Amino acid sequence: MTQIITKKQKRWMQNPFIQFFKFIYLNIKILIIVAGGHGGTRDKADS
Amino acid sequence: MAKIVVLGAGIAGHTAASELRRQLSKKHKVVVVSPNRNYQWVPSNIWVGIGKMKPKDIIFPLEPLYKRKGIEYVQAKAVSFHPEGDDTTQPYVNVEYVFGERKGEQEKVTYDYLINATGPKLAFDMTEGLKPGTNNAYSVCTYDHAQHASEALHDLIEKAKTSEKKLKIVIGTGHPKATCQGAAFEYILNVEQELRHYGVRDKIDLKWLSNEPALGDFGMDGMVLSYNGKPMKSSEMVEMIFRDRGIDWVLEAGVNKVEEGLVHYENLKGEYKTEPFDFAMLIPAFSGHGFKAFDVDGNDVTPKLFKGFMVVDADYTSKPYEEWTVQDWPETYQNPSYPNIFAPGIAFAPPHSISKPRKSPNGTEIFPSPPRTGMPSGITAKLVADNIIDSIKAGHISLQHKGSLGNMGAACIASAGYGLMKGSGVSITTFPIVPDYKKYGETGGRNVKKTFGDIGLAGHWVKLALHYAFIYKAKMKPFWWLIPE
Repeated sequence: MTQIITKKQKRWMQNPFIQFFKFIYLNIKILIIVAGGHGGTRDKADS
Repeated sequence: MAKIVVLGAGIAGHTAASELRRQLSKKHKVVVVSPNRNYQWVPSNIWVGIGKMKPKDIIFPLEPLYKRKGIEYVQAKAVSFHPEGDDTTQPYVNVEYVFGERKGEQEKVTYDYLINATGPKLAFDMTEGLKPGTNNAYSVCTYDHAQHASEALHDLIEKAKTSEKKLKIVIGTGHPKATCQGAAFEYILNVEQELRHYGVRDKIDLKWLSNEPALGDFGMDGMVLSYNGKPMKSSEMVEMIFRDRGIDWVLEAGVNKVEEGLVHYENLKGEYKTEPFDFAMLIPAFSGHGFKAFDVDGNDVTPKLFKGFMVVDADYTSKPYEEWTVQDWPETYQNPSYPNIFAPGIAFAPPHSISKPRKSPNGTEIFPSPPRTGMPSGITAKLVADNIIDSIKAGHISLQHKGSLGNMGAACIASAGYGLMKGSGVSITTFPIVPDYKKYGETGGRNVKKTFGDIGLAGHWVKLALHYAFIYKAKMKPFWWLIPE
């Protein structure tokens, strides 16, 4: 069954105070994932 | 002294040129050849397309910046490639000036290293009747297209205020193998918010029309992501958002023709259907630029350099979908025939799609081509620049820096509405971009710890912060290099 966005969740999504902390959290998480490194794949496959 | 020529000044080309200039001494020459006089931060085109930003907010002229930084700038378009040079010169690219006194004049631009960052050609001509600004269909692929789309959208909003009849907006893909669904996804959510803002939402139906096999495929075969700490398919997440916003959808649709107010498409069942509209924004197919290449004797060697896009260190062997692996994807973006030529960003030919290929009973291939957006474009351009810098310093080709899309993460911060307090964004991160079904077999090829989704005002703030940060970086202001790609 399709999930729905409840009114409570919407209030959470648009609450500037909560979202400020979410903003910090998202930036850190994105930085870790995206700037956290990249590399090749072939050496690993060979080993 | 080495001369590095960069073709293109988009996200990949500009990133490569900036890095080369920063890290190489002035005795080495960096030349950028681009027909565009402005740099544009493409991800913010969406906001130009709804009138919340002006083109001047997302562009700046390249020539003064390059002059200040010691980068030579040639406002011209590449015409042909000569990777072996001719009797009198070293390797060169034939370019044609597109502006000023020398407009129409051709010139040989020689190089020691060549970075082809020409991106895609927006192939509107591959879909009959799809031309931005005609037949009520628009595009947000460039800032001027987006500006035009915004004007038409606001005309429609004015019309809706007095119209007795319910109007309809269709947004999605305009070709059976189009990509960049993410941009269309952002646009439909922003348009929806704009309609609510002007009080006409109940007077306009919104429809998503896409070549994806499922919602949230995004040309990446969808993903299982962590949402509120629980695993959720991207299809479920997008469906949840569309239902919340009252957006209807049609999937597996290969658009083949656009007439005034009517889009024609074929679906995967082989049925030919139409969808009427009063305003449409359809992403065109992306193609290579049709460049030709010649050897020292003038023989055509185009297949050594191009397969539509540029041939790089990918495995292009034709094999069934079940045998595709992440190892097929390139790591250094170096051309195998000419080691001093590289193609980062969107300019390289992908070995295959990421979404599973699908064909209608009539033989029409209907599935998204692989997306290669801003973040991977910047990362691949930087690693190419780093390899060239190492090669120049070592005196021989060095390929220490690698970055396969199968071992790289990406963040897609999709705007879902503009406004400092009323805005919203859908933040999705994916690792890796190309799913590794061997390594992450139980989670759809992705590392679920690094693949997550979030919806809310913070997402809008993140996208807005990225807008300002990346324009700052592109303008090469103090300490710009500290901002990662």
